[in-house]
Amino acid sequence: MTEPTSSRITTPYEGRAAAWTGDAEIGAPLRLHRTTAPPEWMDYNDHMSESCYLLAFGDSADAFFRFLGIDEAYRAAGHSLYTTETHLHHRHEVSLGEPLEMTLQLLDHDRRRLHIFHEMRHGDTDLLLASAEQLLVHVDMGAGRSADLPDHLLARLDAIAAAHADLPEPDVVGRPMGIRRRHEQPEQRERRGQ
Amino acid sequence: MSAEASPDPAPRGGAPFAAYRQPVRGEWLDYNGHLNDSSYAVVLSAAHELVLEHLGLSADYRESHQASMFTVETHLRYLAECSAGQTLTAATTLVDADHKRLRLHSELYADGVLAATGESLYVHVDTVAGHSAPLPEDRQARVAAMREAHADLPRPAHLGLGVGSRP
Repeated sequence: MTEPTSSRITTPYEGRAAAWTGDAEIGAPLRLHRTTAPPEWMDYNDHMSESCYLLAFGDSADAFFRFLGIDEAYRAAGHSLYTTETHLHHRHEVSLGEPLEMTLQLLDHDRRRLHIFHEMRHGDTDLLLASAEQLLVHVDMGAGRSADLPDHLLARLDAIAAAHADLPEPDVVGRPMGIRRRHEQPEQRERRGQ
Repeated sequence: MSAEASPDPAPRGGAPFAAYRQPVRGEWLDYNGHLNDSSYAVVLSAAHELVLEHLGLSADYRESHQASMFTVETHLRYLAECSAGQTLTAATTLVDADHKRLRLHSELYADGVLAATGESLYVHVDTVAGHSAPLPEDRQARVAAMREAHADLPRPAHLGLGVGSRP
């Protein structure tokens, strides 16, 4: 297990105020975060620890929140986005110092939920290293329950959704986890409770 | 089901594997003093590592066999916030396995309250050849024994459902 060197987990974007300009081009997908795999993310054999993939996706999500308009000031006023589910697919190992480029696709949203998809690719070769599918919910932190997003954030999400409308849905989206066996009949899977 | 109820890690009598016990660490927290999203993955991975150790598939195995269990997929469902001062425990079920793959499901508890569930798929990899390979016979026997012991444990309704699906 990697021992982070900081006293708590921080993201590279903490303290940076959200700045939605309204006329900026919306990337399809969004490319808001890139980094280089640092020494503290490496395990005993110099490959990136499993949980650090999620740390990198979290940093990209934080960049997305700030792009959208959710920063410290927004959270201090009582609302935030919470992750309710994350499904990671690990494709390739990452070594020390490799350039990592993150993309983010908005798959779906309603008044209080966001369904997003992240990819991590090698900065030089574009090799897909990992992906993360996430479900987020907008929360009223004081009341401790989900709450509708304000209209100005919904309008921004609609704009991002429009920009992402033609992106293909990645094949792993919504796919359940399981050990898939060849020559297996559906009723056999059912018997195993899958 | 409570992780506290089965402190004995041995997979006997149909109890989930429950050896993991760890106070929340300061470096796992984020800006609001809660367990960061990625730290749930740290905890899940550590809890599952104890299961792999029990099956003889952890660090010693990597050294002696030049082979290792790789995580292919992980699906976390976040149910409650965790903060400093709480103790985390896990109750893990070996849900499925074949000659080279394992599928583990864990309930993660903070002071006995269900805080998250996590499911992971592992594949056995020959690290010299760089591809997946069958587990040695003796390890397959250990896996089979745990599968047998866990066969009658209840399977959570969300098991194997994709993101956003509800039982």
